[in-house]
Amino acid sequence: MHLSQLRRWILQSPPVEWAILQLRELLIGALRQGPIPQHVAFVMDGNRRFAKNHRIETVEGHNLGFEALARVLEVCYKSGVKVVTVYAFSIENFKRSKYEVDGLMDMAKVKLAQLLQHGDLLDRYGVSIRVLGQRELIKPDLLADIDRATKMTSRNGNAILNVCFPYTSQDEITTAIRNTVVDYSKPLPVQQRTFSESHIKHTLRSRHLSVAAERIRERSRSPSSRGASDIEDSTSSSATLHPDSPPEDTMMSGKEVDVSEEASPNLYPDPESITSQVLNDHMYTAGLPPLELLIRTSGVERLSDFMLWQSHENTEIVFLKCLWPEFDLWQFLPVLVEWQWRRKKEEEQDRGVRSAEGSIIRAKAS
Amino acid sequence: MVDSNHETSIYRKDVNQLDVREREKLLKPYLPTKPLIVTKRPKHQPIRMFLKIQLHFVVFTAMHMLFSLYIRFRQAFHIILDRIFALLYYHHRAPELIRQDIRGLERLPQHLSVILEMKQEERGLAGLEKLLDDVAEISAWCAGAGIPTLSVYERTGTLKDHIERTHRVVSSKLHSYFGPHVPTLQIQAPHIPSFLDGDQSGRASSSAGHLSVLLLSEGDGRATLVDLTKTLAEMSQRNKLSADDISLDLIDAEISESVMAEPDLLILFGPYVKLQGYPPWQVRLTEIYHSQDNCGVGYQVFLRALYNFAKAQMKFGR
Repeated sequence: MHLSQLRRWILQSPPVEWAILQLRELLIGALRQGPIPQHVAFVMDGNRRFAKNHRIETVEGHNLGFEALARVLEVCYKSGVKVVTVYAFSIENFKRSKYEVDGLMDMAKVKLAQLLQHGDLLDRYGVSIRVLGQRELIKPDLLADIDRATKMTSRNGNAILNVCFPYTSQDEITTAIRNTVVDYSKPLPVQQRTFSESHIKHTLRSRHLSVAAERIRERSRSPSSRGASDIEDSTSSSATLHPDSPPEDTMMSGKEVDVSEEASPNLYPDPESITSQVLNDHMYTAGLPPLELLIRTSGVERLSDFMLWQSHENTEIVFLKCLWPEFDLWQFLPVLVEWQWRRKKEEEQDRGVRSAEGSIIRAKAS
Repeated sequence: MVDSNHETSIYRKDVNQLDVREREKLLKPYLPTKPLIVTKRPKHQPIRMFLKIQLHFVVFTAMHMLFSLYIRFRQAFHIILDRIFALLYYHHRAPELIRQDIRGLERLPQHLSVILEMKQEERGLAGLEKLLDDVAEISAWCAGAGIPTLSVYERTGTLKDHIERTHRVVSSKLHSYFGPHVPTLQIQAPHIPSFLDGDQSGRASSSAGHLSVLLLSEGDGRATLVDLTKTLAEMSQRNKLSADDISLDLIDAEISESVMAEPDLLILFGPYVKLQGYPPWQVRLTEIYHSQDNCGVGYQVFLRALYNFAKAQMKFGR
């Protein structure tokens, strides 16, 4: 007990505090010399366990978690990370005790109110805040605050902070699919064109007539030379003439064809043109750089419905043992250095493969 | 120590009670210096800036040198640890030993998933050979441990092209493990008719259990979700479905039906966690296990993953 108090006293004495601050600056500056992930996501897990371990209230644990977030954001933005996404509240969390949920909501409200009061301070970061998630689940008064904060910071272009609140990834994917379907179910706008269909049909008919006349003339000259191709030609020409020669079809389906043509058969965008990029553009994270690093604290090795779509390809996922309120530069630094080290190794490997391929090609050539 | 009395007391006092200035004082240490100064500095003190960058570069280099030293040690440590585990626990191709190894575990995954990788340098026949052997070994361990479902993800989908051969290799491996009491084996892949025990179905005793192996590839991830979206868009265009019908449950049902349900445990045999395009919808709550710095398929990794899984408590949400 005495030892920890002594430690705290030393750590909080002005010269030591200053030295630690300088060391942080130095390390962050050094980190900037290497590659830095452009988009980092955090699952801020462990606030409750931290509160339990230290016998403080759960809500207070969340408060300390918010402090940790402030520290980590500072490290991220100073070292050059462009986008930070944090998992603040899951839709599943609504199942927790009403007391805790209300506490979290109150905290969000208080923090937002503070943000709104210190607009100019926040601008120094140059961070714009976005809230990702199901807005319908947020209470209207909080939603208004969120919208104000989003709007206030939207001018800042240096970096982005995505707060996932209330969010689950499956819900995000569902929303993206639904919005894509809605987009593709909108009829394409009919454009007024300068050419009239009837005129083109008329021109076509007259051309076909003249071609047919030409052909009849030709056929009379050499009746047996190109029979097969002639048949083909005539069928194709009859197909082109089809809309103009309805008498055979009207009995069967001509009416229906006409009706569907009136009701625009091809005026929808082609569903085959949907690609994963289209879905990507409908995710909450549309337009942001790809997620390169995902960190989850508190030793739970699960994604828990967070950033599934964004993190299942090339994202490096790191599970850390420490609890979120304890998370700081000292835990984050090794992760970042390892990430840099791995990029360097991958680069070397790529170069190795390329040079090996080059030598093979050269060997084959010689 | 984060919970210093100072901070706690501030929190105990309602945060709202602090006035704006007090709060700004609290925030100060976390704010960067004014950007104005930073942008002007190079003009005024170019030498100082230059020196600063040099210093940062030196620290960066030193940091990475230290780190590469550290990682050598870590890798060596993990190799030794893995060796020790491998010596302590070996299956000796005996299902009884596997069963004994996992006897103390309170729970087992009902659906195990693994990510395998075809090595870049040994593409082609040798790579496929190795991959098939890995699949066969893991299948045998699963059958021995009593895990009924195994899904194998391999990015390129080579296994799916050789589904018949996979079946042959796996069932011969099962024979070498189980002798006469071979569990029935079913190998399937999404959208490909499943390959049930062909000739041996008569011989295999049903009492020995059943193992179904599911082969997955990159196409079962995003591409499936894209396909589903295409179908839904087409239905919506024909007025067969309204956009409001598209719910999480509908997508979940369709995806689980066409590919697979959520696995309980995902084992990576690589040195770090990268999902390589693994089906995103299904990893929602899946426990992800990897053994740090490990490279390659090993029985001890499999076993440690099972132990880890049994200890982990299931929490929905976070």
